[in-house]
Amino acid sequence: MGPADGATAPRRKAGARSRQGAAFVLPLFLFMLVAFTAPVLLMLGWSVTNPTPTARHYAYLLETPVYLKVLANTLRIALITTAACTALGYPLAYWLRGLAARPRLIALSLVVLPFWISILIRTYAWIVILGNAGLVNRSLMDIGLIGTPIPFLYNELGVTIGTVNVLLPFFVLPLYASMTRIDQRLLDAAASLGAPGRTIFWRVFFPLTGAALAASAILVFILTLGFYITPAILGGGRVPMVANMLDMLINTFPRWELAAAISTLLMTVVIGLYLMSRWARTRAAY
Amino acid sequence: MPPTEPVTGRSGGRHAGVAVVAVAALVFLCLPIVIVVPMSFSSARSLRFPPPGLSLRWYHELLADPEWLVAMINSAIVALSSSALAVVLGVLAAYGLVRGRLAGRTAIEAMFMAPLVIPSVIIAIALYIAFAQAGLLGTFEGLIAAHTIHSAPYVVLVMSVAIASFDHRIEQMARSLGAPERTVLLRVVLPNVLPSIAAAWILAFVVSFDEVILTLFLFGNKYTIPKQMFVRLELRIDPTITAVATMLIVLSVAALVVAILLSPPLRGLLGLGRHQDQTAA
Repeated sequence: MGPADGATAPRRKAGARSRQGAAFVLPLFLFMLVAFTAPVLLMLGWSVTNPTPTARHYAYLLETPVYLKVLANTLRIALITTAACTALGYPLAYWLRGLAARPRLIALSLVVLPFWISILIRTYAWIVILGNAGLVNRSLMDIGLIGTPIPFLYNELGVTIGTVNVLLPFFVLPLYASMTRIDQRLLDAAASLGAPGRTIFWRVFFPLTGAALAASAILVFILTLGFYITPAILGGGRVPMVANMLDMLINTFPRWELAAAISTLLMTVVIGLYLMSRWARTRAAY
Repeated sequence: MPPTEPVTGRSGGRHAGVAVVAVAALVFLCLPIVIVVPMSFSSARSLRFPPPGLSLRWYHELLADPEWLVAMINSAIVALSSSALAVVLGVLAAYGLVRGRLAGRTAIEAMFMAPLVIPSVIIAIALYIAFAQAGLLGTFEGLIAAHTIHSAPYVVLVMSVAIASFDHRIEQMARSLGAPERTVLLRVVLPNVLPSIAAAWILAFVVSFDEVILTLFLFGNKYTIPKQMFVRLELRIDPTITAVATMLIVLSVAALVVAILLSPPLRGLLGLGRHQDQTAA
């Protein structure tokens, strides 16, 4: 829309428009500067001062096994979550694309719906479903398949089920949107040249979704890195992730400088990966 | 762009294996929501599903519990104030970004959108350190500011699409007929984007009403509904949570439906509805 405006609007008005645009943007800009950017910079300051400039907080993190362990734990859960979202989400997006208009609207609504339901509610429901006295374990015991409950919860499995459940819509929606933009004529052309369905999918369709798939996967990965609620409830404190460690460093034994250093590291990783996913998205053919 | 017709013939979307995985994924997504609602009408304290009997006792207990009532009032104050602030700031900013011609627009947009990308817990740490020094921890002012940071990006996103899709020549027409800027904004632009403003407000309200992490870190010894839920979930099994959850589900779904009906741009952002088919044609 921007370039078209420029072509039609009288040139002498450009300066006035710019000033006017700035006047509209200014209130939110000032608010964000004071309430968001300044605190983030203050946090960066905490991570590198003591009170004189120092790198010792970062050095301390790297030398302390417990921090590295939680970090490795978080990265592993994020990787597993990304893999599980891909395994469930890609077929789901592909299936949505092939549906007729009305069933597709219903199915899409079901994908969007959990977005709007509090993450607490969805996490809580898993206790009802997967707990020792939960729906799944009791059913399995009633039919005599197992003697003792399977421990689904309060371990890494429980946390991963929770993260995948929350993040699947974030994976599916952008991927689905990109799949609907793929030119049908490319697939028809492949079919008319005699390619079997399997070949059309793997040699034409799948490569066209590669960049969007990468972007979705990176998005899910970085969103998992910041998870706090799910590990706290479904991990029962036994599967700490970075966010839970940050909570301890603020609320249990105040070590603000360490919390600031961890946050800064995490933020750098997240922003770096986000820029990568943006780049992947711009490379997407569709 | 070609019409986005469903894939036909052998080339897929109909493969049985794909359909099985897809339906399983949908069930997995919706199972928690389907489970919680009947649980709230259970007559038992245990988390038996299906419930052994039906009753409204958890709703009675919920309404009789002053802790939930206080949390409800706090939630309402914070969500109403922060969404109002986010809408005023966000609508103005979106108009300036779309219609103005700003130097450094990309950088400004990046700053506005950053809270969507940066994990809440990091924003919570940054604000905790800043608020501790400014004496804002545990205050309504502090939490309202934090929730505004969190919800303003959604308002900017929805309103940018809404304003961009409103034909700017109508504004130019009004100006060329001599309407002062104020009149153009209040009598031409505002009435046309009002439904989207309402949708953006609902979105900002729900985002704030559901927010847990910023609230846990910044609200001191005060509680909102999600914070009360989180604390109780960590402590013990408490069926009143299912009653709260059911009421929140009803509220969220109603809000979502109203917002989607009000705002075609929101429909587009969510990838819902006939929007896609129409733009393809």
